[in-house]
Amino acid sequence: MADLLSTSVSGLLAFQEALDTTSQNVTNVDTTGYSVETTNLSEAQGQSLGTGYVGGGVEVSGITRAYDELLAAQVRSSQASYSSFNTFATQAAQIDNMLSASGTGLTTTLQNFVNALQTVANSPSSTAQRQALLSDAQALTQQLQSYDSQISQYSSDVESQISTSVSQVNSLASNIATLNQQIAAAGSGQSPNQLLDQRDADIDQLSQYVNVNTVAESNGALDVFIGNGQPLVLGDAAQQLTTTPDPYDASSLNISLVGSGGATANITSEISGGTLGGLLAAKTQILDPAQNALGLISVGLSTLVNQQQQSGMDLTGAQGQAMFSIGAVETLPDASNTGSSTLAVTRTNLGALTSDDYQLQYSGGAWQLSDTTTGQAVTMTGTGTSTDPFQAAGISITVSGTPANGDSYLIRPTAGATAGLAVQLTNPAQIAAASLIQATAGTGNTGTAQVSAAGVTDPSTYTPGTYTIAFTSATAYQVKNGAGTVVSSGTYTSGTPITFNGAQVTLSGTPANGDTFTVSPNSATNSGDNSNMFAMIDALSSSALVGGTTSLSGAANNLVSQIGVVTQQAQANASAQQTVNQSAVDARSNVSGVNLDEEAANMLQYQQAYQACAQMIQTSSTVFNSLITAITDGSAA
Amino acid sequence: MRISTVGFQNDAVAQMQALESAIAKTQSELSTGLQIQNAADNPTGMAQVNELNVQLSASQQYVTNGNAASANMKLEEQALTQATTVLQSAQDLAVQANNSSLSASERQNIAAQLQQQLQELVGIANSTDSNGNYLFAGYASSTQPFAQAGNSVSYTGADAVNQIQISANQRISAGDTGASVFMNNPAGNGTFTTAAASTNTGTGSIDAGSVTSPAAWVPGTYTISFTSPTAYQVTNSAGVVTSGTYTSPGTIAFDGVQVTVSGAPAAGDSFTVAPAGNASVFSTVSNLITTLNSTTLNQGQMTTAINGALEQLGGAITNMDNVQASVGARIDAINSSQSTAQSEQTDLQSSISQLSNVDYTAATTQLSTEEVGLQAAQESYASLAKLSLFNFLD
Repeated sequence: MADLLSTSVSGLLAFQEALDTTSQNVTNVDTTGYSVETTNLSEAQGQSLGTGYVGGGVEVSGITRAYDELLAAQVRSSQASYSSFNTFATQAAQIDNMLSASGTGLTTTLQNFVNALQTVANSPSSTAQRQALLSDAQALTQQLQSYDSQISQYSSDVESQISTSVSQVNSLASNIATLNQQIAAAGSGQSPNQLLDQRDADIDQLSQYVNVNTVAESNGALDVFIGNGQPLVLGDAAQQLTTTPDPYDASSLNISLVGSGGATANITSEISGGTLGGLLAAKTQILDPAQNALGLISVGLSTLVNQQQQSGMDLTGAQGQAMFSIGAVETLPDASNTGSSTLAVTRTNLGALTSDDYQLQYSGGAWQLSDTTTGQAVTMTGTGTSTDPFQAAGISITVSGTPANGDSYLIRPTAGATAGLAVQLTNPAQIAAASLIQATAGTGNTGTAQVSAAGVTDPSTYTPGTYTIAFTSATAYQVKNGAGTVVSSGTYTSGTPITFNGAQVTLSGTPANGDTFTVSPNSATNSGDNSNMFAMIDALSSSALVGGTTSLSGAANNLVSQIGVVTQQAQANASAQQTVNQSAVDARSNVSGVNLDEEAANMLQYQQAYQACAQMIQTSSTVFNSLITAITDGSAA
Repeated sequence: MRISTVGFQNDAVAQMQALESAIAKTQSELSTGLQIQNAADNPTGMAQVNELNVQLSASQQYVTNGNAASANMKLEEQALTQATTVLQSAQDLAVQANNSSLSASERQNIAAQLQQQLQELVGIANSTDSNGNYLFAGYASSTQPFAQAGNSVSYTGADAVNQIQISANQRISAGDTGASVFMNNPAGNGTFTTAAASTNTGTGSIDAGSVTSPAAWVPGTYTISFTSPTAYQVTNSAGVVTSGTYTSPGTIAFDGVQVTVSGAPAAGDSFTVAPAGNASVFSTVSNLITTLNSTTLNQGQMTTAINGALEQLGGAITNMDNVQASVGARIDAINSSQSTAQSEQTDLQSSISQLSNVDYTAATTQLSTEEVGLQAAQESYASLAKLSLFNFLD
């Protein structure tokens, strides 16, 4: 019945509930993810009493949670971006720190090695200087390997972080699915604010690990999609993510979705944003390229020094041997290959070598090579046999066996090089400081030409023996080998090298017709010959890498500054994104957060209203008592 | 605009953290003295610093190389000075011996002194540096370059010498081969030698001669034959070149050269003029010793031989002077490149310092500014955080 008493009682009940809500807000002021709740009061149904509609009081029509979907989505997307950049920047900064030690960095150690070559050139027959050179070679090797093994350590840390993040994603996904079920079960009645807050908090946490998008279902459930639209939670069903080994390299983890029956689908390329996105990007954009670039430097060092060693003579009179050993090209078959082919890959052209990885695939009856970093196809020459191997990008590939259609291999020309770098020479006498050949002027020469340099430039084509350079005029010469066959001839200019069979002799002055010069293998008595040391110094400072554009020192310096640029960029991005995230969080918090002053004011307001209603009830009682008193008094008279 | 309580607190804390992080960075710069600690701080700057450090290290190495080379070259200079002194004494002895009134024993005395000088020359030619490497052996620095069998000295060293790198684009020879210093000296006067025939009976002698017109000289062997004590003929492979009458002393000129014959040649005596090759200082001295010890040569032949030896000794001294001058020039080049290197290194170090070292004044000022900022943030937060409507409710 609509009357003073019942109306006032409705007010008491309503304001009590409003005070409860206010108390809920105040106690949850510091709770993360809590959305401020507002009690909605509405006028109760009235009753028609013939003289008019009398109101029925007030009732609580619902408790609304202050929540803006758009602001929440902005928080999640900026959180995912920030986490991604931050993770990426942290990985990059590790490598940057490692490489940046000024004064003891790679360029300094390389220069120390070159300085040691100069010192041997100053006194080539001195054992002490040669021993110092071997020590510097060891120091260089150790530094390169320490960088390489640190990068490998960081890579394996990244893999374990990926595993951990995937487990976190999975546990959040099942929480969200459970909450979806509970929220759907709450029906279309009052909104289950506490459940909704919890689900939002879980989705926010999920956005730290990966990009998140949500789609609302009609029953109140939220479908969650991660990365580039991969479904993670559909209604009350949560998909599971798992890590699967990369088909080429079991130590590298891919992220897969577990389907029905346990089948896994690799969705690594669909993952972006969050820690997972940052870790995957760090793998492909920093760690692998840095290790490859370091490997290219190791290959450059080893190739140039070894070739020059073999172009010279050591203290014992023997041809110099390789100073360094180096890790081989990594050739990784796809785990799902069904054919029986095997590959043998070697590095053959230092200038054409890159720090990219390559995929060799057999399809449509032919082998095709593509660059995995750029995605571009790479043209190969040759047929792949041992006598005519495939050649491209500085490597040479020999294929044997029978491939099946679709078989493929991952070829990593420089990744494993540094781990296998080692100084092979132990005896200082093995350093080839002297030239492999000597040239002497004929005793009957009448011209003024003298020998200024004699050396082997290509040990693989040089044929040891005695050669004679004979001048038929002041400008024309012929070079004959020991059998009398002419192996080279040409026009002579003072200072321009005369080349033949991988060797080269430089004369200065003017020869006369009939003058001869004999080129023969160098003798061990020429222990003071340092011409090969200078050839080695020149080779190391030459632009031998990257298509003839970069020297060894240049490549080392480029690595440091490129990592520096990437790190600086990533740190700037992370910082900018942090600001964006902070303002998105602030915007959401301004809508959904509790303001204590506001709650204090509300508390005062509802308290006042409650007291007023209580007073009304007192009044109703007074009115009733007056009536009863009047009746009682009337009957007594 | 509505602001949530916890949002206000988080913002204030975030701002304080940002200020603290900036202070930490500035403090780290001050304590390490470096404004570029990582490549990420300034990638191009770091690359430049690395490059400059490499150049600095290379420059220091070139100075070291130069020191090693000039030490050896000074030893070489000393050896050459000593050798020149010995040759000059040999010259004096040869002039002394060129006196027709000397007795045979007096000449043998001189020959004995020359023998000592020959041994001294061989010793100088085989001198070593402080590490036992031979100065004049070229590449074959561990093996003694000059071998002596009796009075015959041969060179078994190398024909090429080491180079040393004294600057980024300069490599110079670190020494000279024994061949170029001691062996490849001009015979005769450098163009031709003269000799008296062993069958001569007269007292005529011939000097070393000279070239009057290099373009007119036709290389070949010429014979000056005396048909009578006053008439001579000059013939070569083509035939008679010139002829004339002779009085002592008489200049005979032909084909761009001239020689002077003195004394009284007998009829049938002859002298030869032949193209000159190389003569070593050792063979010059040892031939002179043999000449002076001879009991069969007559005065004219003796005089001719001593004339030739004097000429060759002069040529050897000139050659040695030339080598010494080139050594001096190389030492100068090393000194000059080292002083250039000093100023280069100073420049490099100051560039490196400018790029990588922190400016203490600016950094200290920045630190105090940041400290003030942080203090202000902390104080203001402390007072604002206490404000709440609940404080005023009964």
